[in-house]
Amino acid sequence: MSDARVRRPGEAAFAVIITAFSGFLLWTAYRISGFEALSSPGALPMASAATMVVSAVMIAAQTLRSKPADGQSLRRDIMPMPIVLTIVMVGAYALLLKPLGFLPTSFLFVAILIRVLGGQGIVFCATVSASSILLIYIVFRVIFNVIMPEGIVPEREILAFFGRLWPAGQ
Amino acid sequence: MQALNAFLIPILDLQLLGLVAIGTFAGIYVGAIPGLSVTMAVSILISFTFKWDVYPALSLMIGIFMGGVYGGSRTAILLNIPGAPAAIATALDGYPMAKRGEAGEAIGITTVMSFFGGFMGIIALAVAAPLVSEFALKFQPRDYMLLAVLGILLVGSLSGDSLVKGVFAGALGILIGTVGLDPLTMADRFTFQMPELRGGISFIAVMIGMFGISEALMQLHDVNKAAVKQKISRIVPSWGTVVKYLPLSLQSGSIGVIIGALPGTGGDIAALMAYDHAKRVTPNPEVPFGEGAREGLVAPETANNAAVGGAFIPMMTLGIPGDAVTAIMIGALFIHGLNPGPMLMIEKPDMFWFIVGALTMANCFMLLFGLTGIKVFVKIVEMPRSVLIPLIFLLSIVGAYAVNGSLSDVYWMLAFGVLGYFMKLYGYQLGPVILGVILSRLLDDNWRRAIISDQESLWLLLKGTVTSPLSALLLLSVLAIVLSKTKLWRRWRGQAA
Repeated sequence: MSDARVRRPGEAAFAVIITAFSGFLLWTAYRISGFEALSSPGALPMASAATMVVSAVMIAAQTLRSKPADGQSLRRDIMPMPIVLTIVMVGAYALLLKPLGFLPTSFLFVAILIRVLGGQGIVFCATVSASSILLIYIVFRVIFNVIMPEGIVPEREILAFFGRLWPAGQ
Repeated sequence: MQALNAFLIPILDLQLLGLVAIGTFAGIYVGAIPGLSVTMAVSILISFTFKWDVYPALSLMIGIFMGGVYGGSRTAILLNIPGAPAAIATALDGYPMAKRGEAGEAIGITTVMSFFGGFMGIIALAVAAPLVSEFALKFQPRDYMLLAVLGILLVGSLSGDSLVKGVFAGALGILIGTVGLDPLTMADRFTFQMPELRGGISFIAVMIGMFGISEALMQLHDVNKAAVKQKISRIVPSWGTVVKYLPLSLQSGSIGVIIGALPGTGGDIAALMAYDHAKRVTPNPEVPFGEGAREGLVAPETANNAAVGGAFIPMMTLGIPGDAVTAIMIGALFIHGLNPGPMLMIEKPDMFWFIVGALTMANCFMLLFGLTGIKVFVKIVEMPRSVLIPLIFLLSIVGAYAVNGSLSDVYWMLAFGVLGYFMKLYGYQLGPVILGVILSRLLDDNWRRAIISDQESLWLLLKGTVTSPLSALLLLSVLAIVLSKTKLWRRWRGQAA
């Protein structure tokens, strides 16, 4: 990286955080087996953590030396609202997946996100969300046999019902 | 005879043939839609196919890989947005052709030339891989260790402007790969006394996070960007056009094979180098380069597809992935109980020939699907990102959850997705992270074998390295990469120039 490179908003903080985190990892790696032997289980973790520390320090020094980028802001260029909202929603999805189940959580997730990101009407969002989730469900649950949390939807009973309608397909 | 039988499996078995076809078809669309990438698709796909038999799973993934490398050119031509890094050079002349109303012709040329390139790569793989793997049997543990370090450094140095950031990313990947119980001594490594960490961090969660979530988050910056509409003209190029550009295609394909076979390089570098070559060997094109020169399509498109076969050579023979996509392919082979490297070529040569057969069929399907259905395709790529991106997130979450039925994998995916997003924003390369995760076991095993056989002595290890021609060459290559990025080297080169 050349020194002439400009520093984006938040880049210096990121560089400092990864340096501190690398230091913590080096300490944790040292605690695996210390300097017991070169073939010890902690040897590679220590070597990689030490490499991280050295490179992170170099990156931090270069980043702190570089000039801040003109006309960029953290809120607009690095963490705009759609990105923050999306990260929060993915976290919320993971939290609700077990209690609510795959179908309702996914429906809400996709419909809300389309609405937030594109500003489309509620009917459009609900239709796109429902149809795409139905397709994903058929492909992954029915064809690939990927088991997703059922939650409040009695999926097994529903699938068994459809199974009885097409007994030859079972 | 055994090789021929294995080669014919994906051709004669209708189920496998169908999966290669579906994969190639899906790959073309995945590669073409901005915001979706081959790496993302293959990493998500592993999570759904890991329970399958190895042949069907590989058939689908190889199809996606081959189709995806080609598919990137479609949006490069139609929208001036390369669907994949390998299609960056294609946009330079493809989009000006589309603006002149020649989008159909541009797509036709890229498809036929990608087909030629794909075959050149496959032939090179079939001829070179058995020879390389025989040679690789002479490798010592220290050679594998150096080769792994070399691969990570090359990806780090070539895929970004900063070697230091590449080194950081590679070391981070290696460290992530060591999390869990040490397979030799059962010692806890970075488990923080949490039972769920003892099995390690699912590399699929890391991959989906780094390539799926982070890319989708990046796409949110341009969520409301409107697609450019294009008219489609004649698609299949005339025989005269094909013959005219065949010599350039052969030269570019050779560049693609060689570049693709080098660890750390891939279709993107091959395409750019071939584009540069085309400019040098075509001093008087009918249309200037950058304004819609057909040579500017022929060279990169032949090269990037030739690089696919090339990239399989180090992957299959040495177990060293050339780039992020082949790193993920190695991960897929691991999941199916296969260990790529010279022993795989000896113990299971049928697997190698099966892959060659599947690549061949994927290449044929690429030609077929590439020249058809373009009008429908145009409609699909015009899908608003505000609809596409939520679906990418959903597929990523389902993919991360499906492997172990574990929510912690979803949290890891999200964490690595956010980390990957910031790393991308601030110029850190993500390829070395995945390479590090994949190669960490190989590095750990071979480092310990090497140092134990040298009686725990660094001096003996170093002595062994410098006295063995192969080890010395690998060590020199590692040092050369590091040295080439130092200020001292730049200053010396500046003076020499």
